[in-house]
Amino acid sequence: MNDAIRVRGLTKNYGNHTALRGVDLDVPAGQVYGVIGPNGAGKTTTMRILLDLVRPTAGEVAVLGEHPRTGGAALRRRIGFLPGELRLAGRMSGRAFLAHYASISGTVPRHTAETYAERLGVDLSRPVRSLSKGNKQKLGLIQAFMHSPELLVLDEPTSGLDPLVQREFHSMLREARERGATVFLSSHVLSEVQLTADRVAILRRGSIAAVSTVDQLREGAVRNARIALDAADADALVRDLSTLIGVTGTRRVEATAGQSIVEATVDTHVDEFVKAVSRHRIHDLTLEEPDLEAAVLKFYDEER
Amino acid sequence: MLTLTTRLLADSWRGLIGWCVGIAAIVSLYLPLYPSIGGAELEAVLASMPQGLLDALGFAGITSGAGYTQASYFGLLGYVLPAVAGIAWGAAAIAGDEEEGRLELTLAHAVSRSRVILERGLAILIKLTAMVTLGVVLILAYNAPAELELEPLNVLITGFAQLGLGVLMFATAYGVGAVTGRRSWAIVAGSLVAVAGFLFNALGSQSADVEWLRALSPLWWAYGQSPLSDGWTPGVLGAWALGAALIGAGWLVFRRRDVGV
Repeated sequence: MNDAIRVRGLTKNYGNHTALRGVDLDVPAGQVYGVIGPNGAGKTTTMRILLDLVRPTAGEVAVLGEHPRTGGAALRRRIGFLPGELRLAGRMSGRAFLAHYASISGTVPRHTAETYAERLGVDLSRPVRSLSKGNKQKLGLIQAFMHSPELLVLDEPTSGLDPLVQREFHSMLREARERGATVFLSSHVLSEVQLTADRVAILRRGSIAAVSTVDQLREGAVRNARIALDAADADALVRDLSTLIGVTGTRRVEATAGQSIVEATVDTHVDEFVKAVSRHRIHDLTLEEPDLEAAVLKFYDEER
Repeated sequence: MLTLTTRLLADSWRGLIGWCVGIAAIVSLYLPLYPSIGGAELEAVLASMPQGLLDALGFAGITSGAGYTQASYFGLLGYVLPAVAGIAWGAAAIAGDEEEGRLELTLAHAVSRSRVILERGLAILIKLTAMVTLGVVLILAYNAPAELELEPLNVLITGFAQLGLGVLMFATAYGVGAVTGRRSWAIVAGSLVAVAGFLFNALGSQSADVEWLRALSPLWWAYGQSPLSDGWTPGVLGAWALGAALIGAGWLVFRRRDVGV
């Protein structure tokens, strides 16, 4: 399978400021690829280079097999792009706005824009400038999707969207992948990428800190555990858990009379943890979903 | 075809109407006055004014219809209005759009940067032409009733020179905006050229010692040989040529620079 995006040693300086320092990236065709990182990590700069809005200082870039510069307008016809900061103004209606971008884009089948507008719930007859941030974002998504591009480059696509619309957006992503499109999307929150992406790159201070599948990330993540039991048994449980590999931060929290809460964090050694707990008489056990956010923060922290 | 041109025109025709009303008001205010203030009375008034002031304002020969039209319209607000409009439009079309974060979205579509420069430039040229043409048509309409005795062909030539000056101010703002991406720089650059053009022409007319200043003024290139009374001169093309060069320079840099940073 070809790579939809292939980047080698990508470097970008703005004057004295280095935005990207040697980024390598392979986005396989037909995948949803998420890139996460804090603000200023270089996500937007990377995307702008893919669209030839910004020219790299050094490095190689191939988008759908072509260089963004030489590929020019013909290459961009095959890409749908949603900028990170979408600022729309003007008294033209949403319909006129979309018709305009359709005219400088790939072929848009009739009624496509209307269909998307209905799905996302945005009124195309209203002037663009009167729309809320979320509704403007919907127009941005529609103009990126409407010509069924081979590659979607989406910078923070769900910012400003309410949860229901986000779900609709996720189904749009799935449809895009089913018809063979590649999606390259960025976010500063993991939960979004976690829901939609096959693969995640973590960008930190202009370089790739890690590339992994969401499953791998899950394995490296820790789960918060909470056990309720008789106060008399609590110390024994804390002692047992403290000896286990993979269980950290065990501590006892006093609750109501006669009952204690023990809290701990568990990595992949869930089996050992549960067996150790089962030797005690407990009232309740809560084991949370792995916190991928914390797993990612680990990558950020390693730098400091 | 010309999607970007029609889009810009569709977005801004309301503003254009305002500018056209301004042009119409000025022409209609000054030209019909000529029969009542021209002739011997005006000459008496002018004789009482300092010669330097008359030269600075280009009032030499104001007692003829051509001189009056030149001084009251082409040399003053007929210069200022297209210049201000051209600077505002030129600064907004690339730099303003970029600062507002919208140029990025357009350029991410299937359009080249050259096409954006050309199509938006064409839209502004169309708007400036509309303004100037309205003025020319009104002058021709007032020609007989206001006893101006203008040669119609010379009015067209002078209108072409006037349009060239508007195009130069627009091109300065447009070119600087395309290079820098900063609307304020574009406005400052356009305003500098417009003000310097006016001042150099006015000061250069004061005495032989500073006459060389006029050679630097696009206003002098355009009107120095009195095209409204004497017809075609090559100087009319000066502002056009400089304007084209500035847009070309802007285009060269805009093609290769980073956008939206």
